[in-house]
Amino acid sequence: MTTAGNYTETFVEVADVQLQLRQGGTGEPLLVLHGELGVPGWLRAYELLAEHFTVYVPSLPGFDQSARPDWIISVRDLAAWVTWFVRDLQLPQPLNVIGCSMGGWIAAEIATCNAALFKKMVLVGAAGLKPEVGEVWDYFVHAPREAFMQAFYDPEHIPEYVRYYGKPWTPEEELQVESNREMASRLLWKPYMRSHTLPALLRGIATPTLLVWGREDAIMPLNVCQLYEHAIPGATAKTLDRCGHMPEMEKPAEFVQIVLDFLTAP
Amino acid sequence: MVKEVYFFTEMGYTAYPQDQARQHGYNNLMFPNEHFSPERAQELYSMYFDELQYCSESGFDGVMINEHHNNPLCMMPSVNVIGSILSRITKKGRIVFLGNVLPIHDNPLRVAEEIAMIDILSGGRVVCGFVRGIGQESIATNTNPVYNRERFDEAHNLIVKAWTTPGPFRWEGRHYDYRVVNPWVKPLQKPHPPIWIPGVASPESVRWAAEHRYPYIALAPPLDLIEEIYDLYDQVAEAQGYTATAEQRGYAIRVSVADTDEQAYEEGRNFYWQLGTSFGVAPRHWQAPPGYISREASQGQRQQRRTAAANVTPGGPVLDYEQAQATYQIVTGNPDTVIEKLKHIIDLVDPGYMIFWGREGPMSHKVAMRAIDLMTKEVIPAVKAYQADRVKGRQSRVGR
Repeated sequence: MTTAGNYTETFVEVADVQLQLRQGGTGEPLLVLHGELGVPGWLRAYELLAEHFTVYVPSLPGFDQSARPDWIISVRDLAAWVTWFVRDLQLPQPLNVIGCSMGGWIAAEIATCNAALFKKMVLVGAAGLKPEVGEVWDYFVHAPREAFMQAFYDPEHIPEYVRYYGKPWTPEEELQVESNREMASRLLWKPYMRSHTLPALLRGIATPTLLVWGREDAIMPLNVCQLYEHAIPGATAKTLDRCGHMPEMEKPAEFVQIVLDFLTAP
Repeated sequence: MVKEVYFFTEMGYTAYPQDQARQHGYNNLMFPNEHFSPERAQELYSMYFDELQYCSESGFDGVMINEHHNNPLCMMPSVNVIGSILSRITKKGRIVFLGNVLPIHDNPLRVAEEIAMIDILSGGRVVCGFVRGIGQESIATNTNPVYNRERFDEAHNLIVKAWTTPGPFRWEGRHYDYRVVNPWVKPLQKPHPPIWIPGVASPESVRWAAEHRYPYIALAPPLDLIEEIYDLYDQVAEAQGYTATAEQRGYAIRVSVADTDEQAYEEGRNFYWQLGTSFGVAPRHWQAPPGYISREASQGQRQQRRTAAANVTPGGPVLDYEQAQATYQIVTGNPDTVIEKLKHIIDLVDPGYMIFWGREGPMSHKVAMRAIDLMTKEVIPAVKAYQADRVKGRQSRVGR
């Protein structure tokens, strides 16, 4: 176990998977589902959220240092696993969830078939739908490093970009990026970053939903935000200016304020 | 002893603008196909088929063909189309498919059917190779690279079973499912055409070939890596309970033969149309899409050496022509010179099969035809008559 700042990092077996799990804070639980690039550390946004919630950030199976079971080959498989994770950690239900990019797709999949798991749901630059305007940026014809630059509006001025991505990588970091990319490829290769059935399923969601999008998201076009907003009953959307695909890293303070306003509203 | 010698060309689309490729930093996958002219391709195809036909008639034991996609370096996006044409325009010699890119097929039974047809049409002259395809072909055909090896294995198993087990039967695998496997057309050769496995880098492929007792054909690697490849093959063979022989070893080599050493040396530069300046000029993440190269392979000496030798990175190191000669990735010379160089390879490898990658790039038809004549009249007879040196060579290593 590692303890630093207001979080701990553990390696535990949860729901049959040896898992890298970061958690911090006190209060009611808040689950964070990361995106296809993995999660590089205890982010500033988590630190701020941990002042109000007990924040759980599992590295999903196959990502970062978590084990990669052979049977998880789709986003739906991951969605099923996330429900086991909540059950096995005995987290009180319903609980709040934030899903970023692929993690947003996972959360949405769960919400389409289980209205009891989530109290409120925040989808951030969520994958899962084919944009009607623009295209989802293709990770797999671009170099690993390009993906991180593409994910930020103004990478060079973003502390967490500089800290985690915009520097020479150690061989271990390089291997980790490649390994996450491999898991992403397994889950997202075809159809790329989307589900053929999700558009029809979204109308069944009963979970209060907030969409958060960087206006300049150059990976998941803003149009996808509008599609989600129209498809999920009662969903609302907030956009951040001068912000790319990772508002939680690019604009942590603004992002957290938007999330808190939504989660703490009656 | 070298039992058979084959001829190979990539059938390159030599007219592509290399300066454009240098500007882009790549010459395949996303290199704009506006630079393709079907009229020019028609001329090139005619020339290449004439040469292959001539090879089959004049003393080669056959020809090798292959398949690449989105690539001006190879105008064979369907190896089976090329092979089916050869099956009718040649009357003798084997047609060595190296090979069908198994993982890219969603219906591998189609490969089983086509190879069976060609085997019959050719009178049983097919050698059937299977390959994983180069990395960018996973992208070009949108086949998840993570499953490349699994699909290769399963497609192979399915095809072999379709050829050897009476149908109909059902197939339910991880990547392929069939209610009815029952192809009507089956191969002429029994139990099926010989299967060869070519490769350049991956230890898994060597191991896999050895486990199946399939000949492994090394595709022009630097000569100092060859022992690593065939030692691994030998080890796996021993573990499987057999001793590998020359018939499990093939070797493809770039050869430029001309009347004089000087002329052959200059013509040999044509290989640089592919190697050094342009072979596989593509970013690393196309060559190695996610999961395509195993950890073991990517960290292995072979892969690192190959990466360095092949100039896979735009602006990266270019293999020096002298160095390519010194490491026997290209051999050039008049027939006597080339024979001596090939004897050195034969000492080290003791291959049962050799493939002369005998024409490439903008080499003229006239020069290519003269090279073919020198190969068939002088080089091939000498190579086949040569007994590998037991002291210096591979044979001394067997059973150690």
